[in-house]
Amino acid sequence: MRILLDKFSKSFGATKVIEDMDLNVGSGEMLALLGPSGCGKSTTLFAICGIHRPTSGRILFGNRDVTSLSSQERNVGVVFQSYALYPHMTVAENIGFPLTVRRMTAAEINKRVAEIAALVHIDNLLDRKPSQLSGGQQQRVALARALIRRPDVLLLDEPLANLDAKLRLEMRSEIRRLQKETGITAILVTHDQVEAMSMCDRIAIMKAGEIVQIATPSEMYNDPRTAFVAGFLGNPPISFLTGRAKQGAFALDDGGLKLPLAALSGIPDGTALTLGIRPEHFGIGGDVPVEGKVTFAETQGRENLYDVVLPDGSALRSIQPARSDVKPGDSVRWSLDSKAALVFGEDGRRL
Amino acid sequence: MIAPAAIMIFLFFLMPVGLTAIFAMTSMSTATGISGGVWQVTQGAVNRLEGDMPALAEGIAQPRFVVDEEGLAALEALKLKPGYVIELRAEHVGEVFPSRREAERVIKALKDRPSTREVKQISDLFNRSVLNTRFESREALVRSLEKLGFKLTPEERDKVATATYTGWVWTTDNFRMIGNSPDMAQIFLNTAFYVAVTLLLFNVSYALFLAVTTHYMPPTTASVFRAIWLLPRITPVVIYVLMWKWLTWDNGFLSLLMGQFGVPPKNYLLDNSYNAWFFVILINGFIGASMGMLVFSSAIKAIPETQFHASEVDGASRWQQIRYIILPQLRWPILFVTCYQTLSLLASFQEIHLSTRGGPGKATEVWSLAAFHTALNNYTGNLEYGLGAAMALVLVVVGLVLSLIYLRVFRYDTLISKPLIED
Repeated sequence: MRILLDKFSKSFGATKVIEDMDLNVGSGEMLALLGPSGCGKSTTLFAICGIHRPTSGRILFGNRDVTSLSSQERNVGVVFQSYALYPHMTVAENIGFPLTVRRMTAAEINKRVAEIAALVHIDNLLDRKPSQLSGGQQQRVALARALIRRPDVLLLDEPLANLDAKLRLEMRSEIRRLQKETGITAILVTHDQVEAMSMCDRIAIMKAGEIVQIATPSEMYNDPRTAFVAGFLGNPPISFLTGRAKQGAFALDDGGLKLPLAALSGIPDGTALTLGIRPEHFGIGGDVPVEGKVTFAETQGRENLYDVVLPDGSALRSIQPARSDVKPGDSVRWSLDSKAALVFGEDGRRL
Repeated sequence: MIAPAAIMIFLFFLMPVGLTAIFAMTSMSTATGISGGVWQVTQGAVNRLEGDMPALAEGIAQPRFVVDEEGLAALEALKLKPGYVIELRAEHVGEVFPSRREAERVIKALKDRPSTREVKQISDLFNRSVLNTRFESREALVRSLEKLGFKLTPEERDKVATATYTGWVWTTDNFRMIGNSPDMAQIFLNTAFYVAVTLLLFNVSYALFLAVTTHYMPPTTASVFRAIWLLPRITPVVIYVLMWKWLTWDNGFLSLLMGQFGVPPKNYLLDNSYNAWFFVILINGFIGASMGMLVFSSAIKAIPETQFHASEVDGASRWQQIRYIILPQLRWPILFVTCYQTLSLLASFQEIHLSTRGGPGKATEVWSLAAFHTALNNYTGNLEYGLGAAMALVLVVVGLVLSLIYLRVFRYDTLISKPLIED
């Protein structure tokens, strides 16, 4: 089912958290609301599930206006960051709770609980209490509880934040599998760009209550609209150089680097610019050589990560296939891939 | 660090309970005193002996007359006719007369013919009655009785000694008395009624109602409500009860109000036993509700807010939220409040003492108040320490038994079970 936020605004007292936000999530789509903490992504989620009421604007599920409906009337499934399992109920009671409060018969509830428990692979834990489960198992219970009533929308609020690294990887694909199998429209709130990129069809990246860009993960990675977006996506993160426009090229202030860029035609000389270079675009195989000194080297197994300081003091990051010939303190002459370089104006907008 | 705790428990719990138990096994009262006693044939002792030894009881109640050397010496000192002494010593020494009449018949028959006035004078000298005589030891009492001609078996001696002893003795009669007396049964029922109704209606249900309703209020409004319900608890109890009395006195608020409708003024508190119970339960309930309210409120606050959010999006109405989310998680606080308030209601009597004093009649007399009245403060002035201590001991035992039952009913073991986390 399609979800539409239309000029949605939310303020708490005098504090405006979100103003005039428009968001359209297609039916069966999984969308990530990505942003740093305090950007309003959880507020948006809580407004969609009805815990918070919008200050103004509309929220539509399909063609139904649910703005003034309470949570109880909205038919949404939510997985909370803390899972919010009911500690005094068994796993089966937790999962069946949305049906219990609808006064369905016990037989029907048991049947549906067994079905959904099998789907999330916890059918052997139904008699346990939440305190007797591991984090990953609790996560699955929370998912099952959100899904059992076949909601119009599945909302996930930082669902992986409390899991360890290995389990996080596993649950990432698990949640995506469930979402695809059930064909449910889902919104994932996260501050982790890897989660957003790996799990979702599209990402809406938020900053200070506004959506900066909505795009598919690869579009957003390759074609960020602002420096903020470019900086938020990618691991290890992009590195930025500050300089000025000079005859259709980006030049560092000390003149140590000059990078002709098509995007800079027509930009007056002397305009302050920021150049974004992703680590994989600096190293071997670029077209513009850069000299610098390695200050930091990190072995990640398959790849090595290097920090290189240029003569003017600014730093570039490089990721390369594992090699053992470069150590911190070495002077290197590596090259930039000028076609992949991203250039941003002073206001952070991409040029 | 066991020693300090053990000392505290000993000093402040075991010792009082132990002393209570010791007193409970005695017959101490104002009449017996708390130190030793003497042996005295009082009218009460005679009454006690009447059942088993009617002849003896009647005998020792009557005056006895014995012609002995002591009496003869006294007679000589009176300097009447010397013939009296000579003849009595020669003919009658050692004789015992069960009544004054018989003694006087013998005296009158003396050869020197004493006048009627002298007969009376002489017979007085031989009066050896034991009624109201104090004996410092049991032997002195027995000796004296034997001198008077009462032939007692050792068994009968025991009985007489027990009946005439004025000090306290070890006894289990207090418990027999508590078990058999219909008055005690009535007080017991009063207590059960008072504790059960106050606990269920106010200390738990009403407290829960307040906690849940204030939970759904905006914080400021909730604080105001809670503060209002704390007032009965923080007002000094004497003043608090005085306000209730002012409400219910025959020239108090209720009477004034009802007077507007032509109802004659009356004391609503002590008018009849229904009213008395009504007000006693309100007075105690309003105090008790505040504690439950605070405990339950903070317990509800301790439930993570996301559980309320989750239950809302799961479709639970407010009532279902209370039924499925709040109440099950209040099991431990409810157990605590029930247990604590049962004990405190069982033990506290000051509100009743200040308001109805157990009246009208003994309609609102509860166990702890009755124990207080029996042992420390009553109208007749005979304070029965032993019986009062026995009543207090019964209260301790009832409290312990009830606590154990509560723990079982609320399945305490499941409340403290450890989680078993595995991956």
